Amino acid sequence: MIWHYLVRRLFLLSFVFFALTCFAFSLGHLFPGDPLVNFSGISQPDDELLPILVQQYQLDNGYLQQYIAFLQRILQGDWGLSLASQQPVLYELSQVFPATLELVAYALLISFVLGVPLGLLAAIKASHWSGRVISTIALLGYSLPIFWWALLMIMLFSIGLGWFPTSGRISVLYEIPSVTGFMLPDILLSGQTYWQAALQDAIRHLWLPAFVLATYPTTVMIRFTRDAMLNVWQQSYIKTARAKGLSRSQVLYRHGLRNAMLPVMRQLGLQFSTLVTLAMISELIFSWPGIGLWLLDSISQRNYPAIQGGLLVISSLVILVNILMDVLHTLFNPLARKQANG
Amino acid sequence: MLKPLISRSLPPALLALLLAACQPDMPAEVRSGLVYCSEGSPESFNPQLVTSGTTIDATSRQLFDRLLDINPDTGEFRPALATHWEIREDGLSYTFYLRPGVQFHQTDYFSPSRPLTSADVRFSFERIMLTEHPFHAVSGGDYPYFQTVDWANRVVRIATPTDEQVVFYLRQRDSSFLSNLATDFAVIHSAEYAQQLVEQNQRQRLDTHPIGTGPFKFREYRKDVFIRYYRHGSYWGEPSQLEQLVIDIEPNNAKRMARLLTHECDIIAYPRMAELELISKRDDVRVQQQTSMNVGFWAFNTSKEPFNNSKVRRALSMAINRDAILQAVYFNQAEAATSLLPPTSWGHNPTLLPVPYNPEAARSLLAEAGYPYGFNMTIWAMPIQRLYNPNATRMAEMMQADLARIGVRASIVTLEWNAFRRQLRQGEHDSVLLGWNADNTDPDNFFRPLVSCNGVDSGTNRALWCDPAFDALIAQALLTDNQTIRRSYYWAAQQYLAEHLPLLPLAHAKRFQAVNHRVEGVGINPYGGIDLSTAFKRPDKDTP
Amino acid sequence: MAKFQWLYHKTEHGPLSQLWVSFRQQHSAVIGLMLFGFFTLIALFGPVLTPYDPYLQNPDALLLPPSWDDMGDVRYLLGTDDLGRDQLSRLIKGASYTFGIALITALGAMLLGLLLGVLAGMSKGFRASAFNHVLDLALTIPSLLLAIIIVAILGPGLINTIWAIMLALLPQFVHGVRNTILQQLEQEYVIAYRLDGANNWQILRYVIFPNTWEQLTVLFSMALSTAILDIAALGFLGLGAQAPAAEWGLMVADALDLIYLSPWSIALPGLLIFIAVLSVNLVSDGLRTAVRKRQEN
Repeated sequence: MIWHYLVRRLFLLSFVFFALTCFAFSLGHLFPGDPLVNFSGISQPDDELLPILVQQYQLDNGYLQQYIAFLQRILQGDWGLSLASQQPVLYELSQVFPATLELVAYALLISFVLGVPLGLLAAIKASHWSGRVISTIALLGYSLPIFWWALLMIMLFSIGLGWFPTSGRISVLYEIPSVTGFMLPDILLSGQTYWQAALQDAIRHLWLPAFVLATYPTTVMIRFTRDAMLNVWQQSYIKTARAKGLSRSQVLYRHGLRNAMLPVMRQLGLQFSTLVTLAMISELIFSWPGIGLWLLDSISQRNYPAIQGGLLVISSLVILVNILMDVLHTLFNPLARKQANG
Repeated sequence: MLKPLISRSLPPALLALLLAACQPDMPAEVRSGLVYCSEGSPESFNPQLVTSGTTIDATSRQLFDRLLDINPDTGEFRPALATHWEIREDGLSYTFYLRPGVQFHQTDYFSPSRPLTSADVRFSFERIMLTEHPFHAVSGGDYPYFQTVDWANRVVRIATPTDEQVVFYLRQRDSSFLSNLATDFAVIHSAEYAQQLVEQNQRQRLDTHPIGTGPFKFREYRKDVFIRYYRHGSYWGEPSQLEQLVIDIEPNNAKRMARLLTHECDIIAYPRMAELELISKRDDVRVQQQTSMNVGFWAFNTSKEPFNNSKVRRALSMAINRDAILQAVYFNQAEAATSLLPPTSWGHNPTLLPVPYNPEAARSLLAEAGYPYGFNMTIWAMPIQRLYNPNATRMAEMMQADLARIGVRASIVTLEWNAFRRQLRQGEHDSVLLGWNADNTDPDNFFRPLVSCNGVDSGTNRALWCDPAFDALIAQALLTDNQTIRRSYYWAAQQYLAEHLPLLPLAHAKRFQAVNHRVEGVGINPYGGIDLSTAFKRPDKDTP
Repeated sequence: MAKFQWLYHKTEHGPLSQLWVSFRQQHSAVIGLMLFGFFTLIALFGPVLTPYDPYLQNPDALLLPPSWDDMGDVRYLLGTDDLGRDQLSRLIKGASYTFGIALITALGAMLLGLLLGVLAGMSKGFRASAFNHVLDLALTIPSLLLAIIIVAILGPGLINTIWAIMLALLPQFVHGVRNTILQQLEQEYVIAYRLDGANNWQILRYVIFPNTWEQLTVLFSMALSTAILDIAALGFLGLGAQAPAAEWGLMVADALDLIYLSPWSIALPGLLIFIAVLSVNLVSDGLRTAVRKRQEN
């Protein structure tokens, strides 16, 4: 029965990707300027190249043929050239995307490590001062404009105390060739004699942006863990478990946490799109060479092929995370599984 | 149950993280590397193709050499790749004798088999002047500086009698010729590398993966992120003490300053003048100051209505409250400009007065020109800070308010720098806030690029102003070596400009550089780009 | 009679006043509501309240610190910026931009979401499913990316980015409304009403809407806090409001260059964004708690 559900999700996934590519394709025509330039990224194709490109992009045919040609190019990995650097968009994406994933992953890790225990504490001690303090902090963190928060953190920790650097993933003096695109593994793979110092330096660079970016998901995590926990606590199966003589912590772990984490996980999927927006802004402030910084540069450079590529990659990521969270939620939740089949 | 868990595991974790926050022992490659934080990405790695100061700062003095240089202290010529030179009596031929044994860069994409010869010099300049040259059209075929000085018409041919001798034959006497050769644009490339690229069919790499004879060699470049250079081990001059030079690219002022304060940058380009006082209070950074030959101006697109009318241009100029701009934008670290030429130039005309600030008169002048109700216009404000204009958007905002008082409705246009330059070139602007840094000491270096007809073609004349009478004046000035006679022509040229106002000169600014207290030996010139070959970092006192 | 009086007393407390009672019991929510009212008033009457023209440049008073500072000037309560514009006036004006426009944006998204949600909730079969999938797609595009795309097509500007924010807010409303409607349609009293011969419109008008507005208010307050943050962030990034507009996010970006000279010109607008969002979130939290309590009763 679960297969039926998975197939339906797969169908949904393919439909959403279809709609997404349609949207990305239409942008080539919607952006100002010549669709040929917007698709290919070749700013001034010469007379020899022009007919070849028109033929390849099917630009003298109807939209349907153009779309099919577009889809073929996307699948073949020909995403056009960046108007700003004349390098393939897909190559540039492969350089910047891992940096974003890395930042988001560490931020999420922090938010799990901090958010779940704090949320639990806030639920258990809901009327105690510690629970209230946590709830208040969560509400404050939830309301912070991230760009302002990032600036405050830089003022305090970088310029004031001099603890952390303000920009980039590692000091530019360390030469780390990009293999996986993820900084920490790359340092280990680099084979440089100074890898230990480089690793320390990279971690120093990671702290501030990861912490700032983690602020929002941590507060979300605290709030939802607390609410879900309070909710679960009132369910009859918890009362039954308590009545059976299980200790408070046993109940907490065996029944409470697992059931409380389900809605939290679902929420995480829904909030992922917000998290990506916040990551893009923090990348700008911390000069983190990720996809957000790259896209924001692209918009000021009117680099349309790059924007198109960025749309495809970011949206695909968010879609995948959403669907993954939905699937996990269903797999772990017997009730939802039943609904999915019903 | 939970609380003790947290309180037990948190402190060690925090401690470990704080340890990571301490400065680790830095390896040698890092200790002897220097980070120069620049305000923008270079457009190319070949200075012949550009005029922008950003590109010159990043490439010219670090990667390349010229035949001769200008001594920044005395303003006199001094030998570089040429040990000495001879000028024929009639001024029509210049013979240069090359320094023996000058080595080109050895990199992972090119290994030189021979030292510098006259063929390299010839290759470098023939690329510019011969349209049929196999490299001429590579990277667009534009050589803006050489186009403005009309190089292709002035130099008849280049001869190489021997491997050590190069002779330039000129069409007519040109008193600015040596100055032009000493500019940051007149760099020497490797003909052997070019040959290799032809064989590999990758000619454009000459301008993206440079090979020169300069103190540093190219290692890697990530657009909008950084450029990495290594030391050129067999440099002909004094080799640099730096193992590597990294140019970190950060267009945002405040962020560059932050990186200086956190010691991520050793030198930052263009610290904001307003912050100089603040820096001077700290003992870990220091400010270097140098008078510089530059001018910030407001150019009107004279090819468009109504800016082709000099009354309109004067009216707009009179509406601008320059004192307020000097205070708010330059923080009074600049001189009000009366002419394009800064007062430190020998050609400067001291009799000129600045355009007065008089909105009333401006309004009536505008009415006289046929625009009693004003008009709509755009002010293009460059997105990056330059010496001559530290904050063009802010300046544009002030002008917008000033212009509104005489009924002119201005809107501000600002784009990313490369897109900005591209669209300026297409003449899409009504007016633009820009400026110019001198490349050499010759006054001609201001007039010909900025306001001559040649400058219109090469894209340095943003006023698109082409006046044959004016061009004749500055051409006359080049036909003699007599400085008194040349000066009288330049005085007349400045008078002419003050009457026609194709652009409004605003200010001459001083050049500042903020450096880490451990950095010594940075060369800043009154003209041209920064020279980092002599820079070095003193070791920290507490490290042996 | 006494028996009936007791019943009567109960019905006098309609859902709205019940909600208010439990809302009023939460001090933080009441404080949030007061702040919210304050910001709304400033946003509405800001233009009349400013002591100076927020765009008037005074070249004789550049970068003045707030008046309580030694270097400050009493005439400029919160000091001036680097063009000599009065900070207080700009901050007041900024309330109309950041807060006021966020209100309008969230309202617009709510109305549109209500319309689409009703359509989605009342339709069935393939149409409903296709519609949902398109919505899922819209949910996946982060608001900033949407804004970047719209700016790429239409150019930067406050109005252009408002469309992006509205589009990004829309799916929450549509989903919320649709889910509520679907829930309601399954209720027995709806089926009973339908058996009485009520058509779709009557069901909507008399049964479903009265049961949706609570949900809508909660959604609206959440959307409003997102809208404020988004407008400010886009202004900060230079995609939204353009200089010299006194939008709070843009003011932070403008003052970035002055971060070392006049830190308060970054601190103040940022603080206002923070407080505005906080007030909305306090109200939002209070509402949710109140709704939960009322439903539990």
